[in-house]
Amino acid sequence: MESLLKILAEIRPDVDFEGNQELVDSGELDSFDIVTLVGELCDAYDIEIGADDIVPENFNSVEAIMALVTRLQED
Amino acid sequence: MAFTSMAFVMFLALAVAAYYVTPKRYRWVTLLVVNYVFYYFAGVKYFVYLLATTITTYIATRKLGKMAEENKTAYNAAKAELDKEGKKRWKAEFTKKKRRVLIPALVFNFGILAVLKYSGFVTENLNALFARISVPVELPVFHFLLPLGISFYTFQTMGYLIDVYREKTAPEKNIGKLALFISFFPQIVQGPIGRFQNLSKQLFEGNSFSYERTKFGVQLMMWGAFKKLVIADRASVMVDNIFGFPDTFGGTYVAVAALIYCIQLYGDFSGGIDIATGAAQLFGVDLDKNFERPYLATSIPDFWRRWHITLGAWFRDYVFYPLSLSKFFMKVGKKGRQVLGNYIGKLLPVLIPQFIVFFLIGIWHGAEWKYIAFGFYNGTLIVLGILFEQPLQELAKKLGIRTECFSWHLFRILRTLVLVALGKIITRAAGFSLSVSMMKSMVLNWDTDILWNGGLLQLGLDRQDMWVLFLSCLVLLAVSIMQEKGIHVRETLAKQNLYFRWAVYLGGIFTLIIFGIYGLNYNAADFIYRGF
Repeated sequence: MESLLKILAEIRPDVDFEGNQELVDSGELDSFDIVTLVGELCDAYDIEIGADDIVPENFNSVEAIMALVTRLQED
Repeated sequence: MAFTSMAFVMFLALAVAAYYVTPKRYRWVTLLVVNYVFYYFAGVKYFVYLLATTITTYIATRKLGKMAEENKTAYNAAKAELDKEGKKRWKAEFTKKKRRVLIPALVFNFGILAVLKYSGFVTENLNALFARISVPVELPVFHFLLPLGISFYTFQTMGYLIDVYREKTAPEKNIGKLALFISFFPQIVQGPIGRFQNLSKQLFEGNSFSYERTKFGVQLMMWGAFKKLVIADRASVMVDNIFGFPDTFGGTYVAVAALIYCIQLYGDFSGGIDIATGAAQLFGVDLDKNFERPYLATSIPDFWRRWHITLGAWFRDYVFYPLSLSKFFMKVGKKGRQVLGNYIGKLLPVLIPQFIVFFLIGIWHGAEWKYIAFGFYNGTLIVLGILFEQPLQELAKKLGIRTECFSWHLFRILRTLVLVALGKIITRAAGFSLSVSMMKSMVLNWDTDILWNGGLLQLGLDRQDMWVLFLSCLVLLAVSIMQEKGIHVRETLAKQNLYFRWAVYLGGIFTLIIFGIYGLNYNAADFIYRGF
């Protein structure tokens, strides 16, 4: 989780990620952030994230992003 | 049948009555019949395109659904014996198989749209090119009449097809229900482009009559008619005059035209969407939001998040993400980081697909060079905005500019409005080169005297009409600011005293009757986006 928070803080240092459950729905993360984040996640965790996985539910909170990473690592 | 015509009002009333007298279970059938009757009025020969899209999408999605089911069973049985690489290969193989169904369906349906909408433009330009390089070939040029709402229903249906391919939604088994989703008459004319996940339940389950929802629906339709008939159609008189006679009306007139055209286009398109959304509410269906006060946007990306939201979301989900997350652009990003540094390199997989998306949004509007220029204009602004975001923030800090105050916020809104208005000149002028010469004239012959010396009264509206337009825009602005502050106007109004409420309703009705633009020579049917 810490490494994920570090990645997120590098992409958007102005956003308070912890406890935020509406990162996408509230517009704090936009499509540009998502693409940058996906690139970083793929490199950091050796996973493949496709356009199919880009739904708000997967990116609305740090926990949701972590759950996506874990699922793709297990798949 | 135009949304602002009496025929539409009567058709809608009959359709609503027919819907609610039908037993709940069969209400979707009534709605489908109503849709097809509506489409019949648009031209019976266009049915063939609508049916072709419905049938091919039905076949492709059913096939994809069956493949997904079979794959799931087979994968679960084999999963235990597969290592990570094996699982990856299985996934890739299955994706390949699904693409063999998806791609022909996409090519066929977008192909219909491309041939009908763009073949004339392509062949004309090819002929011009052949003539220029002295090749003795002349291709026949066809200009087809576009079937009603073809851009909108094609995008909506292909979105559904891709969602089934991505296994985000299960395929609809009943072709009649799929036909209903594709042809829902309030939205087929000019959107909003809906998603199956949001609409299917609302369309297929018989909705109960609700007085509140019907009241809100009628109010929204009247608000839309106000924006269209009182604001947009009045503004169009001035806009048509200036753009129709660019030699007579140069200089500051061009700036006036750009600004008034912004108002016209918003009144016209969002007015039409309000009527569509209100009409859908009469059947208990909530359509997706298509506008969120775009002229209060503080940047160009913000503007595109607020203007024609469903088209932007479509391109984001089905073009931008697949492109920017593709292996190719991921590689471009990595290579870019090595060559151009971390900052620019990281941005490449975002910037290039973004540019492609705006090119496509440009040509979505029409088969003309000016729309392509419009796409590049917006793409360039967005790319420059991203590239200069950091340096500009640092500059503002160095200059001691406070960015949290109202004046800075207002400055950003006005700056965005000016950039948007310049883009509107490109799309509204008769051609791209003319739009450039109009912009040149605006800069070189700037003369604000026309604002005070009666120059504006030469544009087809008399003093009274000018006042009606001005005051109506103030009402629109006031409502927009209220909404921006989170006030729900219809709900707030419903809580007021009976006398006040009815004073507002009657005021609205009389405003529409007295100040709506009607007349023998005027065709209220011409919603601008209907043509796209």
